[in-house]
Amino acid sequence: LQLAQQKTESGVESSLVTRLVESIRVRHPRSLAGVLEAQAVNPARFDAYANMLLHWALCAFGEGTIERMADAFVRFSSDVNFAQARYEAAGRYENKSYQECQDTVYCQKETMDDYLMGIYLTNFLWAHHMEISLFFEERFLTSLAPGSHIVEIASGHGGWGLWALHSVADARLDAFDISPAAVEMSSALAKAANLQDRANYALQDALAMDTRAVGPADACICGFLIEHLEKPDELMEVIGRLLRPRGVAFLTGALTAAQVDHIFEFRYESELVLLAEHHGLRVTDLRSVGPKRTLRGASFLPRSIALVLQKRTHETW
Amino acid sequence: MPEIMSALNAVFCEVFEDDGLSITRDTSAADIDGWDSLTHVTLILHVEKAFGVRFSSSEVSGLETAGDLEALIAARSAKD
Repeated sequence: LQLAQQKTESGVESSLVTRLVESIRVRHPRSLAGVLEAQAVNPARFDAYANMLLHWALCAFGEGTIERMADAFVRFSSDVNFAQARYEAAGRYENKSYQECQDTVYCQKETMDDYLMGIYLTNFLWAHHMEISLFFEERFLTSLAPGSHIVEIASGHGGWGLWALHSVADARLDAFDISPAAVEMSSALAKAANLQDRANYALQDALAMDTRAVGPADACICGFLIEHLEKPDELMEVIGRLLRPRGVAFLTGALTAAQVDHIFEFRYESELVLLAEHHGLRVTDLRSVGPKRTLRGASFLPRSIALVLQKRTHETW
Repeated sequence: MPEIMSALNAVFCEVFEDDGLSITRDTSAADIDGWDSLTHVTLILHVEKAFGVRFSSSEVSGLETAGDLEALIAARSAKD
Protein backbone atom coordinates (compact mmCIF):
# COMPACT_ATOMS: atom_id res chain seq x y z
CA LEU A 1 0.00 0.00 0.00
CA GLN A 2 2.79 2.39 0.93
CA LEU A 3 4.57 1.71 -2.34
CA ALA A 4 1.38 2.37 -4.32
CA GLN A 5 0.80 5.64 -2.45
CA GLN A 6 4.33 6.76 -3.19
CA LYS A 7 3.71 6.00 -6.82
CA THR A 8 0.60 8.17 -6.78
CA GLU A 9 2.44 11.09 -5.21
CA SER A 10 5.13 10.90 -7.86
CA GLY A 11 2.56 10.78 -10.62
CA VAL A 12 3.59 7.37 -11.91
CA GLU A 13 0.07 6.02 -11.44
CA SER A 14 -1.45 8.39 -13.96
CA SER A 15 -0.99 5.32 -16.15
CA LEU A 16 -3.90 3.67 -14.32
CA VAL A 17 -6.35 5.65 -16.44
CA THR A 18 -4.43 4.81 -19.58
CA ARG A 19 -4.42 1.17 -18.59
CA LEU A 20 -8.17 1.18 -18.04
CA VAL A 21 -8.98 2.95 -21.30
CA GLU A 22 -6.57 0.67 -23.16
CA SER A 23 -8.18 -2.39 -21.61
CA ILE A 24 -11.57 -1.23 -22.87
CA ARG A 25 -10.17 -0.32 -26.28
CA VAL A 26 -8.67 -3.79 -26.76
CA ARG A 27 -11.18 -6.01 -24.98
CA HIS A 28 -14.42 -4.10 -25.45
CA PRO A 29 -14.07 -1.80 -28.48
CA ARG A 30 -17.83 -1.21 -28.76
CA SER A 31 -17.71 0.52 -25.36
CA LEU A 32 -14.86 2.87 -26.19
CA ALA A 33 -16.97 5.69 -27.69
CA GLY A 34 -18.87 6.20 -24.45
CA VAL A 35 -15.68 6.20 -22.40
CA LEU A 36 -14.05 8.84 -24.60
CA GLU A 37 -17.23 10.90 -24.34
CA ALA A 38 -16.97 10.76 -20.54
CA GLN A 39 -13.31 11.75 -20.65
CA ALA A 40 -14.18 14.76 -22.82
CA VAL A 41 -16.61 16.13 -20.21
CA ASN A 42 -13.64 17.36 -18.17
CA PRO A 43 -10.35 15.64 -18.97
CA ALA A 44 -8.48 16.89 -15.92
CA ARG A 45 -11.18 15.92 -13.42
CA PHE A 46 -11.77 12.63 -15.26
CA ASP A 47 -8.13 11.75 -14.70
CA ALA A 48 -8.30 12.86 -11.07
CA TYR A 49 -11.44 10.85 -10.23
CA ALA A 50 -10.30 7.82 -12.18
CA ASN A 51 -6.88 7.78 -10.59
CA MET A 52 -8.28 8.15 -7.10
CA LEU A 53 -10.85 5.39 -7.48
CA LEU A 54 -8.60 3.03 -9.45
CA HIS A 55 -5.72 3.51 -7.06
CA TRP A 56 -7.90 2.54 -4.09
CA ALA A 57 -9.27 -0.46 -5.98
CA LEU A 58 -5.83 -1.64 -7.06
CA CYS A 59 -4.53 -1.38 -3.51
CA ALA A 60 -7.58 -3.18 -2.14
CA PHE A 61 -7.95 -6.01 -4.63
CA GLY A 62 -4.53 -6.46 -6.22
CA GLU A 63 -3.09 -6.97 -9.66
CA GLY A 64 -5.63 -7.65 -12.41
CA THR A 65 -8.24 -5.43 -10.75
CA ILE A 66 -8.27 -2.82 -13.52
CA GLU A 67 -9.04 -5.41 -16.18
CA ARG A 68 -11.58 -7.18 -13.97
CA MET A 69 -13.32 -3.88 -13.30
CA ALA A 70 -13.31 -2.99 -17.01
CA ASP A 71 -15.03 -6.30 -17.75
CA ALA A 72 -17.55 -5.74 -14.95
CA PHE A 73 -18.25 -2.21 -16.18
CA VAL A 74 -18.98 -3.44 -19.71
CA ARG A 75 -21.24 -6.23 -18.43
CA PHE A 76 -23.08 -3.79 -16.17
CA SER A 77 -23.49 -1.20 -18.94
CA SER A 78 -24.74 -3.90 -21.29
CA ASP A 79 -27.30 -5.05 -18.70
CA VAL A 80 -28.46 -1.46 -18.31
CA ASN A 81 -28.76 -0.91 -22.07
CA PHE A 82 -30.77 -4.10 -22.51
CA ALA A 83 -33.00 -3.28 -19.55
CA GLN A 84 -33.62 0.12 -21.12
CA ALA A 85 -34.49 -1.49 -24.45
CA ARG A 86 -36.98 -3.85 -22.74
CA TYR A 87 -38.40 -0.85 -20.86
CA GLU A 88 -38.82 1.05 -24.14
CA ALA A 89 -40.79 -1.89 -25.52
CA ALA A 90 -42.93 -2.49 -22.42
CA GLY A 91 -43.41 1.14 -21.36
CA ARG A 92 -42.69 0.28 -17.73
CA TYR A 93 -40.00 -1.26 -15.55
CA GLU A 94 -40.01 -5.00 -15.04
CA ASN A 95 -42.32 -5.67 -12.14
CA LYS A 96 -40.06 -6.80 -9.33
CA SER A 97 -40.40 -6.57 -5.59
CA TYR A 98 -37.71 -5.26 -3.29
CA GLN A 99 -37.55 -8.68 -1.63
CA GLU A 100 -36.98 -10.35 -5.00
CA CYS A 101 -34.08 -7.98 -5.75
CA GLN A 102 -32.64 -8.60 -2.31
CA ASP A 103 -32.73 -12.37 -2.78
CA THR A 104 -31.49 -12.48 -6.37
CA VAL A 105 -29.02 -9.58 -6.42
CA TYR A 106 -28.06 -7.88 -3.14
CA CYS A 107 -27.42 -11.04 -1.13
CA GLN A 108 -25.63 -12.97 -3.91
CA LYS A 109 -21.93 -12.32 -3.37
CA GLU A 110 -20.68 -13.18 -6.85
CA THR A 111 -23.43 -11.19 -8.58
CA MET A 112 -22.93 -8.27 -6.21
CA ASP A 113 -19.13 -8.17 -6.54
CA ASP A 114 -19.47 -7.82 -10.31
CA TYR A 115 -22.36 -5.36 -10.02
CA LEU A 116 -20.54 -3.12 -7.51
CA MET A 117 -17.32 -3.08 -9.50
CA GLY A 118 -19.24 -2.13 -12.62
CA ILE A 119 -21.12 0.66 -10.88
CA TYR A 120 -17.91 1.94 -9.25
CA LEU A 121 -16.51 2.80 -12.67
CA THR A 122 -19.72 4.40 -13.96
CA ASN A 123 -18.94 7.33 -11.63
CA PHE A 124 -16.54 8.57 -14.27
CA LEU A 125 -16.91 6.25 -17.30
CA TRP A 126 -20.49 7.31 -18.07
CA ALA A 127 -20.47 10.87 -19.37
CA HIS A 128 -23.62 11.89 -17.54
CA HIS A 129 -22.35 10.35 -14.31
CA MET A 130 -19.09 12.22 -14.78
CA GLU A 131 -21.26 15.35 -14.66
CA ILE A 132 -22.93 14.11 -11.48
CA SER A 133 -19.47 13.53 -9.97
CA LEU A 134 -18.44 17.09 -10.82
CA PHE A 135 -21.65 18.33 -9.18
CA PHE A 136 -20.92 16.23 -6.07
CA GLU A 137 -17.45 17.72 -5.77
CA GLU A 138 -18.30 21.32 -6.61
CA ARG A 139 -21.69 21.78 -4.98
CA PHE A 140 -21.74 19.33 -2.08
CA LEU A 141 -18.25 18.44 -0.85
CA THR A 142 -17.19 22.09 -0.79
CA SER A 143 -20.07 22.85 1.60
CA LEU A 144 -18.92 20.38 4.27
CA ALA A 145 -16.98 21.71 7.26
CA PRO A 146 -13.92 19.94 8.65
CA GLY A 147 -14.89 17.31 11.21
CA SER A 148 -18.35 16.77 9.71
CA HIS A 149 -20.24 13.66 10.71
CA ILE A 150 -21.49 12.04 7.51
CA VAL A 151 -24.00 9.22 7.25
CA GLU A 152 -24.13 7.23 4.03
CA ILE A 153 -27.28 5.26 3.30
CA ALA A 154 -26.88 2.26 0.98
CA SER A 155 -23.16 2.86 0.67
CA GLY A 156 -22.69 0.14 -1.96
CA HIS A 157 -19.09 0.11 -3.17
CA GLY A 158 -18.33 2.97 -0.78
CA GLY A 159 -16.85 5.35 -3.34
CA TRP A 160 -19.01 8.39 -2.56
CA GLY A 161 -18.42 8.32 1.20
CA LEU A 162 -14.71 7.67 0.86
CA TRP A 163 -14.40 10.53 -1.58
CA ALA A 164 -16.03 12.75 1.06
CA LEU A 165 -13.62 11.55 3.77
CA HIS A 166 -10.72 12.03 1.39
CA SER A 167 -11.80 15.63 0.71
CA VAL A 168 -13.02 16.86 4.11
CA ALA A 169 -10.45 17.03 6.90
CA ASP A 170 -11.29 15.03 10.01
CA ALA A 171 -14.74 14.08 8.70
CA ARG A 172 -16.09 10.76 9.95
CA LEU A 173 -18.45 8.38 8.24
CA ASP A 174 -21.12 5.95 9.37
CA ALA A 175 -22.24 3.91 6.39
CA PHE A 176 -24.99 1.31 6.05
CA ASP A 177 -25.86 -1.28 3.44
CA ILE A 178 -27.99 -4.43 3.36
CA SER A 179 -25.52 -6.32 1.18
CA PRO A 180 -22.64 -8.24 2.82
CA ALA A 181 -20.65 -7.90 -0.43
CA ALA A 182 -21.05 -4.11 -0.31
CA VAL A 183 -19.86 -3.87 3.28
CA GLU A 184 -16.89 -6.08 2.44
CA MET A 185 -15.93 -4.05 -0.65
CA SER A 186 -16.32 -0.62 0.96
CA SER A 187 -14.35 -1.73 4.04
CA ALA A 188 -11.52 -2.98 1.83
CA LEU A 189 -11.48 0.26 -0.16
CA ALA A 190 -11.45 2.33 3.07
CA LYS A 191 -8.39 0.42 4.23
CA ALA A 192 -6.71 0.86 0.86
CA ALA A 193 -7.42 4.60 1.01
CA ASN A 194 -6.03 4.70 4.56
CA LEU A 195 -9.35 6.09 5.73
CA GLN A 196 -10.48 3.11 7.81
CA ASP A 197 -10.03 4.96 11.12
CA ARG A 198 -12.68 7.49 10.10
CA ALA A 199 -15.10 5.11 8.37
CA ASN A 200 -17.49 2.64 9.94
CA TYR A 201 -19.46 0.22 7.74
CA ALA A 202 -22.40 -1.74 9.09
CA LEU A 203 -24.62 -4.44 7.58
CA GLN A 204 -27.89 -2.72 8.32
CA ASP A 205 -31.04 -1.57 6.57
CA ALA A 206 -30.77 2.16 7.16
CA LEU A 207 -34.50 2.56 6.60
CA ALA A 208 -35.25 0.27 9.52
CA MET A 209 -32.69 1.53 12.03
CA ASP A 210 -33.09 3.79 15.02
CA THR A 211 -31.81 7.07 13.59
CA ARG A 212 -31.36 8.53 17.09
CA ALA A 213 -28.50 6.09 17.64
CA VAL A 214 -26.64 7.43 14.58
CA GLY A 215 -27.66 11.03 14.14
CA PRO A 216 -27.97 13.88 14.21
CA ALA A 217 -25.64 14.05 11.24
CA ASP A 218 -24.09 17.08 9.62
CA ALA A 219 -24.43 15.48 6.21
CA CYS A 220 -25.98 12.52 4.49
CA ILE A 221 -25.08 10.81 1.22
CA CYS A 222 -27.42 8.49 -0.61
CA GLY A 223 -26.42 7.51 -4.13
CA PHE A 224 -28.92 5.81 -6.43
CA LEU A 225 -31.02 4.02 -3.84
CA ILE A 226 -34.38 5.72 -4.16
CA GLU A 227 -35.37 4.06 -7.44
CA HIS A 228 -34.71 0.65 -5.86
CA LEU A 229 -37.43 1.13 -3.25
CA GLU A 230 -41.11 0.30 -3.30
CA LYS A 231 -41.85 3.26 -1.03
CA PRO A 232 -39.32 6.00 -1.82
CA ASP A 233 -40.83 8.48 0.62
CA GLU A 234 -39.53 6.30 3.48
CA LEU A 235 -35.99 7.20 2.42
CA MET A 236 -36.70 10.95 2.42
CA GLU A 237 -38.31 10.59 5.83
CA VAL A 238 -35.19 8.89 7.23
CA ILE A 239 -32.89 11.54 5.75
CA GLY A 240 -35.05 14.24 7.30
CA ARG A 241 -34.80 12.53 10.70
CA LEU A 242 -31.05 11.85 10.46
CA LEU A 243 -29.92 15.38 9.70
CA ARG A 244 -29.35 18.08 12.27
CA PRO A 245 -31.15 21.36 11.58
CA ARG A 246 -29.50 22.92 8.51
CA GLY A 247 -27.66 19.67 7.85
CA VAL A 248 -27.18 18.85 4.18
CA ALA A 249 -27.70 15.79 2.02
CA PHE A 250 -26.57 14.64 -1.41
CA LEU A 251 -29.09 12.36 -3.04
CA THR A 252 -29.09 10.87 -6.52
CA GLY A 253 -31.75 8.96 -8.38
CA ALA A 254 -32.70 7.59 -11.78
CA LEU A 255 -35.50 8.91 -13.99
CA THR A 256 -36.94 6.72 -16.75
CA ALA A 257 -33.72 4.71 -16.53
CA ALA A 258 -34.25 0.97 -16.29
CA GLN A 259 -31.98 -1.49 -14.56
CA VAL A 260 -32.47 -5.06 -13.44
CA ASP A 261 -33.30 -3.94 -9.89
CA HIS A 262 -34.98 -0.57 -10.48
CA ILE A 263 -38.46 -0.78 -9.03
CA PHE A 264 -39.88 2.72 -8.70
CA GLU A 265 -40.24 4.55 -11.99
CA PHE A 266 -39.65 8.28 -11.53
CA ARG A 267 -40.54 10.21 -14.66
CA TYR A 268 -40.07 13.84 -13.69
CA GLU A 269 -37.46 15.76 -11.71
CA SER A 270 -40.21 17.41 -9.68
CA GLU A 271 -41.26 14.08 -8.18
CA LEU A 272 -38.06 13.94 -6.13
CA VAL A 273 -38.22 17.62 -5.29
CA LEU A 274 -41.76 17.22 -3.91
CA LEU A 275 -40.78 14.13 -1.91
CA ALA A 276 -37.90 16.05 -0.33
CA GLU A 277 -40.05 19.06 0.46
CA HIS A 278 -42.72 16.86 1.99
CA HIS A 279 -40.18 15.55 4.51
CA GLY A 280 -38.79 18.83 5.81
CA LEU A 281 -36.01 19.28 3.31
CA ARG A 282 -35.24 22.18 1.01
CA VAL A 283 -33.69 21.61 -2.41
CA THR A 284 -30.75 24.02 -2.59
CA ASP A 285 -29.23 22.66 -5.78
CA LEU A 286 -30.21 20.24 -8.51
CA ARG A 287 -28.59 18.70 -11.56
CA SER A 288 -30.38 16.42 -14.00
CA VAL A 289 -28.42 14.88 -16.84
CA GLY A 290 -28.98 12.30 -19.51
CA PRO A 291 -26.61 10.60 -21.91
CA LYS A 292 -25.95 12.31 -25.24
CA ARG A 293 -26.36 9.03 -27.10
CA THR A 294 -29.52 6.99 -26.60
CA LEU A 295 -31.05 3.86 -28.08
CA ARG A 296 -32.32 4.39 -31.59
CA GLY A 297 -35.88 5.72 -31.60
CA ALA A 298 -35.90 6.07 -27.81
CA SER A 299 -38.95 7.66 -26.24
CA PHE A 300 -37.38 7.83 -22.77
CA LEU A 301 -34.24 9.75 -21.86
CA PRO A 302 -32.56 7.79 -19.04
CA ARG A 303 -31.56 10.62 -16.72
CA SER A 304 -29.66 10.74 -13.48
CA ILE A 305 -30.63 13.43 -11.03
CA ALA A 306 -28.61 14.78 -8.11
CA LEU A 307 -30.11 16.92 -5.39
CA VAL A 308 -28.40 18.89 -2.65
CA LEU A 309 -30.85 19.10 0.22
CA GLN A 310 -30.90 21.04 3.46
CA LYS A 311 -32.97 20.25 6.54
CA ARG A 312 -35.41 23.08 7.03
CA THR A 313 -35.74 24.95 10.31
CA HIS A 314 -38.75 27.00 9.20
CA GLU A 315 -41.90 26.21 7.28
CA THR A 316 -40.37 26.99 3.92
CA TRP A 317 -36.58 27.18 4.45
CA MET B 1 -25.34 -22.32 -41.56
CA PRO B 2 -25.30 -20.20 -44.73
CA GLU B 3 -29.00 -19.38 -44.42
CA ILE B 4 -28.43 -17.85 -40.97
CA MET B 5 -25.53 -15.78 -42.28
CA SER B 6 -27.62 -14.56 -45.19
CA ALA B 7 -30.50 -13.49 -42.96
CA LEU B 8 -28.01 -11.97 -40.53
CA ASN B 9 -26.49 -9.93 -43.34
CA ALA B 10 -29.92 -8.47 -44.09
CA VAL B 11 -30.30 -7.48 -40.44
CA PHE B 12 -26.87 -5.81 -40.45
CA CYS B 13 -27.77 -3.88 -43.61
CA GLU B 14 -30.96 -2.63 -41.99
CA VAL B 15 -29.43 -1.69 -38.63
CA PHE B 16 -26.36 0.02 -40.05
CA GLU B 17 -28.38 1.52 -42.92
CA ASP B 18 -25.99 0.25 -45.57
CA ASP B 19 -27.44 -1.96 -48.31
CA GLY B 20 -23.96 -2.73 -49.59
CA LEU B 21 -22.78 -4.26 -46.35
CA SER B 22 -21.43 -7.79 -46.74
CA ILE B 23 -20.51 -9.44 -43.49
CA THR B 24 -18.38 -12.51 -42.88
CA ARG B 25 -17.94 -14.61 -39.77
CA ASP B 26 -14.94 -12.47 -38.86
CA THR B 27 -16.73 -9.14 -39.15
CA SER B 28 -16.37 -7.22 -35.88
CA ALA B 29 -16.97 -3.73 -34.50
CA ALA B 30 -13.64 -2.68 -35.98
CA ASP B 31 -15.03 -3.28 -39.49
CA ILE B 32 -18.31 -1.39 -39.26
CA ASP B 33 -18.65 2.29 -38.47
CA GLY B 34 -21.10 2.93 -35.68
CA TRP B 35 -21.12 -0.55 -34.12
CA ASP B 36 -20.91 0.74 -30.58
CA SER B 37 -22.48 -0.58 -27.39
CA LEU B 38 -25.85 1.12 -28.03
CA THR B 39 -26.12 0.05 -31.66
CA HIS B 40 -25.24 -3.45 -30.48
CA VAL B 41 -28.47 -3.47 -28.46
CA THR B 42 -30.44 -2.33 -31.52
CA LEU B 43 -28.74 -5.03 -33.58
CA ILE B 44 -29.64 -7.75 -31.08
CA LEU B 45 -33.26 -6.60 -30.88
CA HIS B 46 -33.51 -6.79 -34.68
CA VAL B 47 -31.88 -10.24 -34.65
CA GLU B 48 -34.37 -11.41 -32.02
CA LYS B 49 -37.23 -10.25 -34.20
CA ALA B 50 -35.83 -11.72 -37.41
CA PHE B 51 -35.07 -15.14 -35.91
CA GLY B 52 -37.88 -15.34 -33.35
CA VAL B 53 -35.56 -15.79 -30.39
CA ARG B 54 -34.77 -13.84 -27.24
CA PHE B 55 -31.37 -13.43 -25.63
CA SER B 56 -30.19 -12.31 -22.24
CA SER B 57 -27.71 -9.49 -21.86
CA SER B 58 -25.05 -11.88 -20.60
CA GLU B 59 -25.39 -14.02 -23.74
CA VAL B 60 -24.79 -11.18 -26.15
CA SER B 61 -22.59 -8.62 -24.37
CA GLY B 62 -19.41 -10.60 -25.01
CA LEU B 63 -20.05 -11.41 -28.68
CA GLU B 64 -17.19 -10.10 -30.79
CA THR B 65 -17.92 -11.14 -34.36
CA ALA B 66 -20.82 -11.84 -36.68
CA GLY B 67 -19.72 -15.48 -36.53
CA ASP B 68 -20.21 -15.50 -32.75
CA LEU B 69 -23.71 -14.18 -33.28
CA GLU B 70 -24.40 -16.77 -35.97
CA ALA B 71 -23.29 -19.58 -33.63
CA LEU B 72 -25.50 -18.26 -30.86
CA ILE B 73 -28.54 -18.10 -33.15
CA ALA B 74 -27.84 -21.63 -34.41
CA ALA B 75 -27.52 -22.98 -30.86
CA ARG B 76 -30.71 -21.26 -29.77
CA SER B 77 -32.63 -22.37 -32.85
CA ALA B 78 -31.54 -25.98 -32.32
CA LYS B 79 -32.61 -25.82 -28.66
CA ASP B 80 -36.00 -24.30 -29.52
